[in-house]
Amino acid sequence: MHTSPAKLLILIALSLVILVEGRTVLAFFGINIPPLETALIGLVIIATLVIWAIRPLRGSPTKSE
Amino acid sequence: MTALFVDEYPAEARLVKAAFLSSFIAFGIGALFGIIQALHRTDIFRFIDSIKYYTVLTGHGVFLVIAFTIFFLVGLYQWAVTDSLERGPVDIRFTWFWYGLMAIGSFLAAISILAGFLEQPPMVLGAELRANVLFTFYAPLEANPLYYIGLALFLVGTWLAGIDWFRTWWAWRDENPGERIPLRTFMVLTTMMMFFLGSVGVIVSILVFILPWSLEITESLNPLLTRTLFWFFGHMIVYFWLLPAYLLWYSVLPKLSGGRLFSDPLARVVFILFVLLSTPVGIHHQYMDPGIAEGFKFIAMTNTMFLLLPSFLTAFTVVASMEHGARQRGGEGRFNWLQALPWRNPAFTGMALAGLVFAFGGFTGIVNAGMNINYLVHNALWIPGHIHAQVGTATALTLMAGSYWLVPQLTGNRLVGRQVALFQVVLWFVGIVFMTNSMFRAGLVGVPRRTAEPQYQGFEYDVPVGSMGELNAQLALGGTLLFISAMLFLVLMLLTVFNNDSEPIVDGTLPPALSGPEDSPQVLDNLRLWFGIAFALVVLAYALPLAGIVAQSGLFGQDIPPFPVSSEAVMYLEFGLDYVGALVT
Amino acid sequence: MGSRVSREIGHDEYDPWGTLSLIVIYFVALTLMWLFTYFVEFIGNTPTVMGMIVPVMLG
Repeated sequence: MHTSPAKLLILIALSLVILVEGRTVLAFFGINIPPLETALIGLVIIATLVIWAIRPLRGSPTKSE
Repeated sequence: MTALFVDEYPAEARLVKAAFLSSFIAFGIGALFGIIQALHRTDIFRFIDSIKYYTVLTGHGVFLVIAFTIFFLVGLYQWAVTDSLERGPVDIRFTWFWYGLMAIGSFLAAISILAGFLEQPPMVLGAELRANVLFTFYAPLEANPLYYIGLALFLVGTWLAGIDWFRTWWAWRDENPGERIPLRTFMVLTTMMMFFLGSVGVIVSILVFILPWSLEITESLNPLLTRTLFWFFGHMIVYFWLLPAYLLWYSVLPKLSGGRLFSDPLARVVFILFVLLSTPVGIHHQYMDPGIAEGFKFIAMTNTMFLLLPSFLTAFTVVASMEHGARQRGGEGRFNWLQALPWRNPAFTGMALAGLVFAFGGFTGIVNAGMNINYLVHNALWIPGHIHAQVGTATALTLMAGSYWLVPQLTGNRLVGRQVALFQVVLWFVGIVFMTNSMFRAGLVGVPRRTAEPQYQGFEYDVPVGSMGELNAQLALGGTLLFISAMLFLVLMLLTVFNNDSEPIVDGTLPPALSGPEDSPQVLDNLRLWFGIAFALVVLAYALPLAGIVAQSGLFGQDIPPFPVSSEAVMYLEFGLDYVGALVT
Repeated sequence: MGSRVSREIGHDEYDPWGTLSLIVIYFVALTLMWLFTYFVEFIGNTPTVMGMIVPVMLG
């Protein structure tokens, strides 16, 4: 594990929050992301985070918080 | 491992538990009403009559921001005073007496609100039993007298609670002459001084004007006067909701982070600033009210901007205390120390996320406080967005997180489901961001607040990004996540209470501050001085506006009869509007 | 509950640089948000509902 489950959960939550608020900010600059695409981006971010988190660390024993 | 609070002070622990129980019952009902509104006003799922929406809205306000927050406050403060002075109240029967008054008062108010759901409410005290007047009970909207009697009893109970804590402190001072007031007791006493001063407005409004008027003892009242008296109390009360969260952030959060409070004197200064400034700002809720001179509104705005100071001081002190903990736990670097914080502890994570939402929700408060820019958002959904970010998260999420730490010490039971608890606080955080983001955006395009059906024929909101449907869906999704989170919290609390056969894993000791009371000037503990200055500031800010309002239309107004809020009244109103509409064409 | 302190840091050897960095970011964000709300949303928009009461009521 690259991080602890607790931190993974918080990273996912923060990335969702940044996605929702970031979408609003981008819209001010004329970049509109439709809801469906936003949801897809969210899923991709969550998947990426989960894969990164559970990928085994090379050479070091599993460490958890 | 030190002894648990319940073992050291069993009698006081019982009272704290009773207060928390009342608080959580109100929280459950309030949360249920919250999701009904989220689904109703967005027109996603309407299963109640839109007239009943206002009963739900009143209940949501009163149960959450009066009962949930204040019952939790008295419980938490009873714990804080007992634990920091290391002694119980002078007479615990008096303590139960004020708790009883508060419980009876909130029960009466709750009954009169909930009766609004009945098709034919019973007659009580000569009027139909109902109270669809919203949390602000602006006259001439009129509730059943029972509602005002309930509120009055609740307020008297809260006053007596404050007097009880002062008595406890006086007794402690006689036993410990010359000692500094322990920080948590200091916070309790200053909060209650603020409450004594600010609640005078609403008490006068209820006892002198609204209650006699609803009992038909007086025939008329001055709506602007009662409204102004309400807001005399109404901005102080937001700090009354917030200061329990501050108490937890200053005393418990540094410990949970693995560190110590950065500065005891700064914490004292912050609480004193709230005593001084939280009341003479109430007129900033009335920027849109005619009948108050612009100059007085300008003074209120200036005072409000000063009120940002204690919150900014808090941001610094609390984050610095967290960083101290992170560095003691081995954290390094400019930002990497954040990783060393105990994120898997729901009590810590809940408070930290609540603080984060508070920091950004505070921005919307700066917008509300600006006299001109306030016109952009005043009657719009932006304002509920602000209140849900602030009291609905900074306070509510901190109180839930604090419960995960405190309830095991009050019951002697181990917290059930720590991982679920972590999920619960994170879910609240995500839910509130979804919901408030949509509320802020909808508010900016003019979607009104306090409205069951903000959908109008022949009118389209000019939504620059996405659509109204999308904003509505986001609001409802956020509301649903919040409701699930609230229910998870209540289930975990219930399971913990019945988790008898267990040992809590919690250490109730709080480490001393890095810069302790010995570094803070003695004058900070001179409570009489601060109360005197606060009183003078209130007189300066309010004497002339109140005199002006009374001079304009008299103490009791000119022939303002009650406008009963019942389904018939709404029907008459609808008829009247149709009639006016027909005349206009 | 899990506060594993690995070293004691006293008052004199602690300087909250991390806090300062976070607060600088926060103040920059506040300023930008306020400028946006004031100049774009407030100054830049016309009134939303004013003047619409008759068409709204007529439906």
